[in-house]
Amino acid sequence: MINKLIGTLFILHVFILTGCTNANDEDEPLYIAAASDLYHALTEAGEEFTNETGIPLEFTFGSTGLITQQINEGAPYDLFLAAHESYIDELIEQEAILADSKHYYAIGRNVLMYEEESLLLESGQAQQYLLSDEVGTIAIANPEHAPYGKAAKETLESWGIWEQIEEKLVYAENIRQAYQYVESGNADVGMVALALVSDTDYEYQLVDEAAHEPIIQALGIPAVSSKEEESKQFIEYLTGKRGQEILVKYGFDLP
Amino acid sequence: METILTPLLLSLRISMIATAFAFVIGMLLAWWFAFHKTRLTRLLSVLVTIPLIVPPTVLGYYLLISLGRNSFIGQWVEGLTGEPIVFTWKAAVIAAAIAALPLLIRPIQASFESISTSVLDAAKLDGAHGLQLLRYIIAPLAYKGILAGLVLGFARAMGEFGATIMVAGNIPGKTQTLSIAIYDAVQANRMMDAHLMVLALSVTTIIFLILLSKWYKS
Repeated sequence: MINKLIGTLFILHVFILTGCTNANDEDEPLYIAAASDLYHALTEAGEEFTNETGIPLEFTFGSTGLITQQINEGAPYDLFLAAHESYIDELIEQEAILADSKHYYAIGRNVLMYEEESLLLESGQAQQYLLSDEVGTIAIANPEHAPYGKAAKETLESWGIWEQIEEKLVYAENIRQAYQYVESGNADVGMVALALVSDTDYEYQLVDEAAHEPIIQALGIPAVSSKEEESKQFIEYLTGKRGQEILVKYGFDLP
Repeated sequence: METILTPLLLSLRISMIATAFAFVIGMLLAWWFAFHKTRLTRLLSVLVTIPLIVPPTVLGYYLLISLGRNSFIGQWVEGLTGEPIVFTWKAAVIAAAIAALPLLIRPIQASFESISTSVLDAAKLDGAHGLQLLRYIIAPLAYKGILAGLVLGFARAMGEFGATIMVAGNIPGKTQTLSIAIYDAVQANRMMDAHLMVLALSVTTIIFLILLSKWYKS
């Protein structure tokens, strides 16, 4: 029995040692952290960029707030695409992102996403619909740390229905999860990024952009990155003609 | 296949190492708690369950703060190895080990406590020292508890998600364990991938636990 324990520990020790061999930096991909709304657009843009340049990319999608916190603690990303510029500014202030690396790349739009077939909401009807008994739950991203959630909250406040519908709201951890709540039939309505509804069977309609602060999206290079050159190449591609075309195709406005 | 295999192997490696660390620490603590009953050890044995009580993401946040680049430990390790601990697979090991520890310690401690002290005292009278006690008396009598602790600890480590995503992040190929890859697939609406990964996670973990039990009982 005791011999087996020692044996187990020995085998594990071998595991630990083999785990410590690091791959060399040459074939290391570019690690890009990005806000969840960019999932479809970046998947396509990333593939094209890799085909053109031969630089492999690895994406991590999450809520802008969480990634900001992690970059502040030294997360090893080579590039951060935030869903709102304020997060990049905050990180520049903390010296976690290179000050001269900030670029605007897109402006995000929110949509109302719902299942009702053939229900086309005229302007002003959206409020009535959200207040009606047909709608039991409304999914938005957490306004505390997700820019699209913040915009959704501002919209509902400017429509003057925030208080009445507050109990119908479900907060998702990020905007992709809010979309998932509606897509899986667990929320009747969602206020989500236009860039995420490209392949949904659900109805959706644009939310008037005057109803909230614009979602001005910016990116920056974390100070810990050792691949500044490659990151700059990707920034050039994304803010260049082809990259912007792809972003527009997925429903982003251009800055 | 590649999309499943990479996170699966990473999960296995992290969980095995985490279970090994938790096992060594857990055995020592269980020994101390079971055979040296004082007010302090009683209190500590309750405190060890805190990782079970605190929500995993909160646990992960505290780990991030205490191991991060601005922390004393983080800076010390970075000075030593040249790279930070957070957002590496090592951080995932620490998260999984802490999550597994309470589940691992309980059954081991209980099985130690069930060994009658008169047997131990008799052995001590005959001149057995600590290691001999462990080898000839405690291990054979307590092996069921030890095995139960290992099984629970390993299963918990394989399923660990909340603390890991905070302190190790979700970096494909580097820190994306299978549990995190599943979460990612569900959010991206890649349900087929998610189902396959859940299957892979369950089957692998169960096979591993069966092998572990067989091996210890043989």
